[in-house]
Amino acid sequence: MTVRPGKTLRLPLLLIGSAILFLQYFSPVYPAATAFAASHPDALKIGVLAPLSGPYAAGGTSFVQAATLAVEQANAEGGVFGQRVTIVVGDTQGRVDVAKAEALRLVSREKVTALVGAYLSEETVGVMEVAAAQRKVLVVPVAATAEITDMVRREYARYRYVFRVGYSLPQWADMIAAFLSDRKVRRYAFVGAGIRWNRELGEMIERIVAPRRIAPAYTAYYSPGNPAFDTVAVAASAASPDIVIIADPGRNSVSFLKRLREAAPAIPALSVGGALGDARLAASLPLSTPVYVQAAAWRGVSPAATAYVERYERRYGAPPVGYSDTLPYDAVTVLVAAWRKAGSAATEAVVPVLERGAFAGVAGTYRFDAAHQAHWGTAPGALRGTIVRLERGGARIVFPPR
Amino acid sequence: MASPLPQILLDGFFTGGTYALMAAGMALILGVVKVINLSHGAFLTLGAYVAYALADRGIATPLAAAPLAAVIAFAFGVFLGKSFVNPARSHPFALPVGTLACALLFEQAAQMVWGPHPLSIDAGDPWIGPGGLVVRRWGVVAFLSSAVLLWGLKRVLSSRPGLPLRLIAEDEEIAGSLGMDVEAIRYLTFGGACAMAAAAGALLAPSGAVTPTMGRAPLLLSLVVVIVAGMDSVGAIFLISIGLGIFGSACAWLLSPQWSYVAMLAAVCLLLSARPAGIVALAGRRD
Amino acid sequence: MRNAAPFRGGWPAAGIGLLLFFPLSSPDAFFLDVFTTGFLLAAFAASWDVVGGVSGQITLGHALPFGAAAYACALLTSLAGWPLPLAVAAAIVLAAAVGAGIGTLSAPLAGPFVALLTLALGEIAHEAAVGNTFFSGPGGYAWGGEGGIPLTLPWRDASPFLSYYAALAFLCLASFGMLRFSRSGAGLILRAVAGSPITAQASGIPIARFKRLAFTVGSAFAGAAGAGFALHVGRATATDLSLELSFQAATFAAVGGRGTIVAPVVAALVLHVLFQGLSLPPSARILLYALTLLVTLRFFPGGVVGTARDLASRIAGREGARPPGRHGRNRNGEVAR
Repeated sequence: MTVRPGKTLRLPLLLIGSAILFLQYFSPVYPAATAFAASHPDALKIGVLAPLSGPYAAGGTSFVQAATLAVEQANAEGGVFGQRVTIVVGDTQGRVDVAKAEALRLVSREKVTALVGAYLSEETVGVMEVAAAQRKVLVVPVAATAEITDMVRREYARYRYVFRVGYSLPQWADMIAAFLSDRKVRRYAFVGAGIRWNRELGEMIERIVAPRRIAPAYTAYYSPGNPAFDTVAVAASAASPDIVIIADPGRNSVSFLKRLREAAPAIPALSVGGALGDARLAASLPLSTPVYVQAAAWRGVSPAATAYVERYERRYGAPPVGYSDTLPYDAVTVLVAAWRKAGSAATEAVVPVLERGAFAGVAGTYRFDAAHQAHWGTAPGALRGTIVRLERGGARIVFPPR
Repeated sequence: MASPLPQILLDGFFTGGTYALMAAGMALILGVVKVINLSHGAFLTLGAYVAYALADRGIATPLAAAPLAAVIAFAFGVFLGKSFVNPARSHPFALPVGTLACALLFEQAAQMVWGPHPLSIDAGDPWIGPGGLVVRRWGVVAFLSSAVLLWGLKRVLSSRPGLPLRLIAEDEEIAGSLGMDVEAIRYLTFGGACAMAAAAGALLAPSGAVTPTMGRAPLLLSLVVVIVAGMDSVGAIFLISIGLGIFGSACAWLLSPQWSYVAMLAAVCLLLSARPAGIVALAGRRD
Repeated sequence: MRNAAPFRGGWPAAGIGLLLFFPLSSPDAFFLDVFTTGFLLAAFAASWDVVGGVSGQITLGHALPFGAAAYACALLTSLAGWPLPLAVAAAIVLAAAVGAGIGTLSAPLAGPFVALLTLALGEIAHEAAVGNTFFSGPGGYAWGGEGGIPLTLPWRDASPFLSYYAALAFLCLASFGMLRFSRSGAGLILRAVAGSPITAQASGIPIARFKRLAFTVGSAFAGAAGAGFALHVGRATATDLSLELSFQAATFAAVGGRGTIVAPVVAALVLHVLFQGLSLPPSARILLYALTLLVTLRFFPGGVVGTARDLASRIAGREGARPPGRHGRNRNGEVAR
């Protein structure tokens, strides 16, 4: 058959070939990186892994903004060992495979000294594997799943480079329970998305408050794909709780709060943090009945927190929401402080320092337990977190009382 | 306290109105231009952002935003129709994928202009009806607008001005040989449908949060409604939407809110298995 | 009948050769990882083409067998303690069974109804995966849900080179298998059914059985790709069942050219490696990706290969078709380019 296919039929393979050659030419090719321990590496780079596209782009964007601010603060204080600190960002796109690939890129190509991230639990576990294999310190700011600390505890030798700065689910439940007791709540409603960590949080809160004779009047989880807000709002209202806890940190919490206010104008609401902490939303939400938001830190909690909030607002035009930005800021701050304390950025020097030391962050002083989890909660010496009440002009701290 | 069931049903009714409003534009495109428009959700998002932009400048009523959003979306839709949908229509499979790419483009542009964070417009107070029934303002608006839009669509399609559209939907070759400018009608219809989507987005914006990816779920629901109802009867689209809304609400109340979406999807699968040619039988359409 | 294969031995061999030697120029681990994922996604795209291209049934739920296999691998290795090869085999069998089920349900349907049904089934599976917390891990906490389920693998950190070559070998074998299927008797019948169902039915072909076969075979290969993906990533997550993944397969097939098996592979590889491997800033990456899709589909609406084949057959003057006129329409009333 003498069909003359013409040059166009060869196009696809030519494209592959040229793409490969193009990539090889334009992207410097390194030999496979072998781990090297340098006391004072040439440049101090922190690899930041967060979702900057996809459904979690909001959290990831604040994450990177806060990390940038933290590094600028570190440099304003004179840098580390006289060198500037920079961040290199990897977009995880909300997927494990991309998170792992980006972690590999940051470590093997960008030669970062340590990693901060990721945002989602599954991304973080994937990045943990890369950090363990490459022996890089990984500081986890959000991602509350027990799997992370459980892996550190069970296989300490492999995962000892991983430290979690953010609160775990039991700690989160502890802080919320303290607020419920403080408000003298007897019956509460718990509404979350039908995802694992929302359910776990709900179960933990119920367990913690049971001895205090506080019980859930209504519990519901809606599908994140097509949330049945109306029904849940009506049912929650019908149960007459003293407060409604909204566990969804994303955009659905805003929609749900609006529905709830229509169905139950007089029942206070508590958000576990996230989207509802955004000050720009306050103008469009009905606030005559209290809307409380939990955060890691807020303006006014401490001079450091106020300075951070104001710097963030000046730089990015709106104050931080207090969770997906404040915790990454503290993650970078703690890492830099650990470098300074250890006198070296080498992994083997930094890990023991993190395990034993105390580090000042915006939310307070960070200390890590045996599973490399920061101490949050109501125990003495632990980080307390903050609960604010949204108001038109800003938000007022209501708990812990000052 | 009285059973919340009447409230649940009323809310389901209004939710169905929302679905009908979203589906109206999709139906027009699928029926006349024969394209599954996967950028429908993106135009909805565009409308919502226009409403937000106006609210930010002090004009907080979506009723003012809807016409503006419609005009902007019409322009974009005509551009998309002329530059992509018409030239590529020799291969029907390329069209949905191309409109999907267009949706990605819009979402990213929206994220770059307004940021990825959820934004919100004041929803206003609801009205309290008899028996303490809460009547959601935006729910009524969506329901009425969808009824008006679909009724208008039905009138246009069944009257003289709608004749070219129906003819093109049936047989483009004949329409072309009758001297109709098929190309122009196609891209104008596409633009019009996008305008309807944007108007829907503007009207629905106050009910929730405005984000770049907010159009994905409505896109899915519109697809479901339009394909199940078929293109032959605008009334069927309205009824299926209302039915789906009430069904979803009832499932959320009687079963569990977590699985109401799955129940809706399972109902759709059952419907398709029972009536493989769609709900509205294609009887009597042969000449 | 038209000569089916535009690619004769030479070009695929050249491509495979390039890919075989690429790691020897010592790129870093990141690049190898991107290619490995790319190979697996390419196999997934080819498996879509078996159903959507060869058999003509546009499916928007092809992530269902992919993710089902991934979850099966995870659950069997981590909870049931099965050895890995057995778990992978079982996962592929499960994916094929899922495909058979989908094929049975969709056989009486046509066109957009198939798309809707497969979309609905895929979404149901995704919702079930996100909402389930039925399993618990060794630490006593819940597994599943959005966080997914880890696999228990006999290796700790796979060598990027080994992963690369294993995925490449898998892609070659799977593509070979799918090509053989698409050119076999069954494949020809499927193309006939796709082209004109009424004619096929009139000649006594049991259409439903062949449609189901297409789904079964396509889903089996999708399951193999899904198992491979789970092995590579070490985890099965709800994203493996997502609508976005299903759309991705259809997109690669549209860009490459439906029905050719090889073209979606090439399109998937090129698009994935380019856009994930170049480390572009996120907004630029998405904008460029969307623009690439739009431009490619605008000028190659039948896919790169599909449109090229149309051109080739017109140049060769087949079936009385005239070369595309400058402004006019061709015989079918379509605007010719």
